[in-house]
Parts: sequence; C-alpha cells; structure tokens
Amino acid sequence: MPRQVLEDTLTADSIAADTALAASGDATAFERLYRTHVARIHTLVRRMLDADEADDVTQDVFIRAWQKLSTFRGESAFGTWLHRLAVNVVLARRKSVGVERGRFIAADDPLDDVSSKPVTLELSMDFEEALARLPEGARQVFVLHDVEGYRHEEIARMLGVVPGTSKSQLHHARMALRRHLDR
Amino acid sequence: MNDIWTNRLSEYLDGELGNDERVALEAHLATCGQCYAILGELRQVVTLAKALEDREPPNDLWAGIRAGITADAARLTPGRRPGVSGSRRFSLTVPQLLAASIALVLLSGGGVWMALRPTSVADKRERTTITSVAWTSPTDVAVAELQDALARNESRLDTATVRVVRQNLAVIDRAIAEARVALERDPGNTYLNLHLANTMRRKVELLRRVNALAAES
Repeated sequence: MPRQVLEDTLTADSIAADTALAASGDATAFERLYRTHVARIHTLVRRMLDADEADDVTQDVFIRAWQKLSTFRGESAFGTWLHRLAVNVVLARRKSVGVERGRFIAADDPLDDVSSKPVTLELSMDFEEALARLPEGARQVFVLHDVEGYRHEEIARMLGVVPGTSKSQLHHARMALRRHLDR
Repeated sequence: MNDIWTNRLSEYLDGELGNDERVALEAHLATCGQCYAILGELRQVVTLAKALEDREPPNDLWAGIRAGITADAARLTPGRRPGVSGSRRFSLTVPQLLAASIALVLLSGGGVWMALRPTSVADKRERTTITSVAWTSPTDVAVAELQDALARNESRLDTATVRVVRQNLAVIDRAIAEARVALERDPGNTYLNLHLANTMRRKVELLRRVNALAAES
C-alpha cells in the first residue's frame, strides 16, 4: 500500500472512530473532529456569506453537527456529511436574515473597487477578495459549482431555482471574475 | 463580446452544450478572436477556483462550540451522552501508551462482561445503531501495514522495548478478539462497538508511535 494511501486510510479510520465516540457524547473526540474539519467549513462559510459572519455560523454548524450526530449513519464520510450540513446552515441563514438573493450582476461592475494586480503568487488571495465582492446569488452558485463541485441540478434544488438560473448565475460570476483578472 | 455565443461559453466550458450547439460554437470560436480570448480567461477562472485552498479561521472557535455543546448536553436526559463535560485531552508518550494498553486489557475483560450481561429494556432503548462495519476493514489493513513496518524496524529498538511492545500488542489483540466475538452475538451493542473502536485506535496509535520511535533510533 502506498504511503499516502496508508495515511489516508489511517486518517479516515481515525475520523470514523472519533465520529462514533463523539456520537456517544465524547466531547474530546468531537474536538478532534472539529480541528480536522474547521478550516474547510470556515472557508466554505466565509466564501458563501460575509466574512464577519463566518465565525458565528461556523460555530453554529459544529453545534448542530453535535446535536445531529446520532442521525449520522456512516453512509457517507463524516466530512461529506458535515459539509452538506454546513451548506444547509448557510442557506437557511440566507433565508432567515431575508437577504436579497437571486440577483444577477448588475450593469455596474461589483468588482470595480477591487485592487487589481497581475498574475502573481498573491493571485489566489486577490481572487478570494474578488469572489467576496460578487453579488450573493452569483457568489453562492460559483462557490457551490466551481469550488465545491456541486452540479447545477443539485444547486438548483438547494437554492429553490431552476437549473437554467444556476447556469446563468455561474456564467455572470465567471465573467465578473474574468474582468478582474483581465486588468 | 456581446455576440450570441458569449453567454454560452461557460456551458461550453462545462461540456453542457448539445452536439449541434457545440459544433456551431467551435466554428464560431475559429473566427472570433474575442470569444476565443474570453473562453481562455473563463478557463483560467475555473482553474483558480479549483486551486483555492482552505484557511484556518483567525480565531480558535472551539471554546464557543464547547460552551454550546455543554449547554446542549445539560438539556438532554442524564446518561444519554455520558462524558460530555468531563473529558480531557491527553497526549501520551510511548511508555504511557504501553502502560495504558495494559490498563486497557485489564479493563477489557470486565468491559465485555458488562456489555454482555443481561440488559434492561431501558438500557436497550439507549442504544444507537453505530456499528463497526464501516471502519474495521480499513483499520485491519492499516494495522497490518504498521505491523509489517514494525517487523522491519524493530531491530533498531532495544530488546526490552521490543518484548514489552510484543506483549502489549498480544494482549490488545486478545481484547480486540474478545470484543469481536461479543459483537457477533450482539452487533448493535453501542458499548461494544465503541470499545472495539477505542481499542483499535489505541493499537494504531501504539504501532505508529513505536514505528516513529524506531525510525528515530
């Protein structure tokens, strides 16, 4: 067995054991799960919502995960289950705060005031900044599709829109980000 | 940039156009430098999106989460989630692990006996459906690999350490075997599943630490 495969197996096994322990009430095992997954969840939340909400919503995701662990049946990896839970929490938050959604990029380029730099090692950070400037609807579709790998049909179900809307939002998001890179 | 094909470039990039539209768009791309350039830039956007990396939050959020789950535990019926508020985090050295494995074995026989004793209806109601099926096979493979590695590396360790390690691996294996036999009789027993999970994890930790120790020697 290649070393990386072995390490992945050990990691997956350790997570599975910790998931079982946490489901029985072991907070220490749950803390290990938190430390393994927090970067991924916090990053997802930060990209889909405003950065200043990311800490609170991430904490909410993990507390809900703790509450729902007894429903986790191991049919998918814990990380996949947690990620889907995080997406649901983010989308529920989006509804509860009544934010404007489904909005396409308007005539005014939302990235106008994003600092522009040529392609450098700092590009990914600039890209994150540009991403944060997108209107919420386009940003969420872009994150779910291009970053997280969801299909349009899944995104449409989650957002309560038709797949054509998801495709259109994605294209507008890409075009806006392209204009930023083009400067 | 505003021709009829510009808004179809993302679908083309994602392979979502029908055959006829794809052929027509490719014919257009052969003659329209602007669309061709935009397509390249959209491809760059997609590449950048896939390359984005996760970042740790600037602040440790665990304290708030812990407070939240402790409050949650307080709401629950006592006994449903044992150990929520009292657990601590340990970092063990190899000697501590060896000692812990001995203690584990001493406990295991009694633990299995406790798990197999006649249970009340109320006890059974508390059980969840967690089973070891999902993780024991990969663990067995990992343990086999680590034991192979240890067999190759143990010449680097002193004789006394090797003897203690072997003795403790043997008793851990007996504890695992006991738990598995008990689980065959009662596959849904939460305690047994967790006990087996814990024992396997301790074995993996012990093997990894001993291998690391051998590698440093």
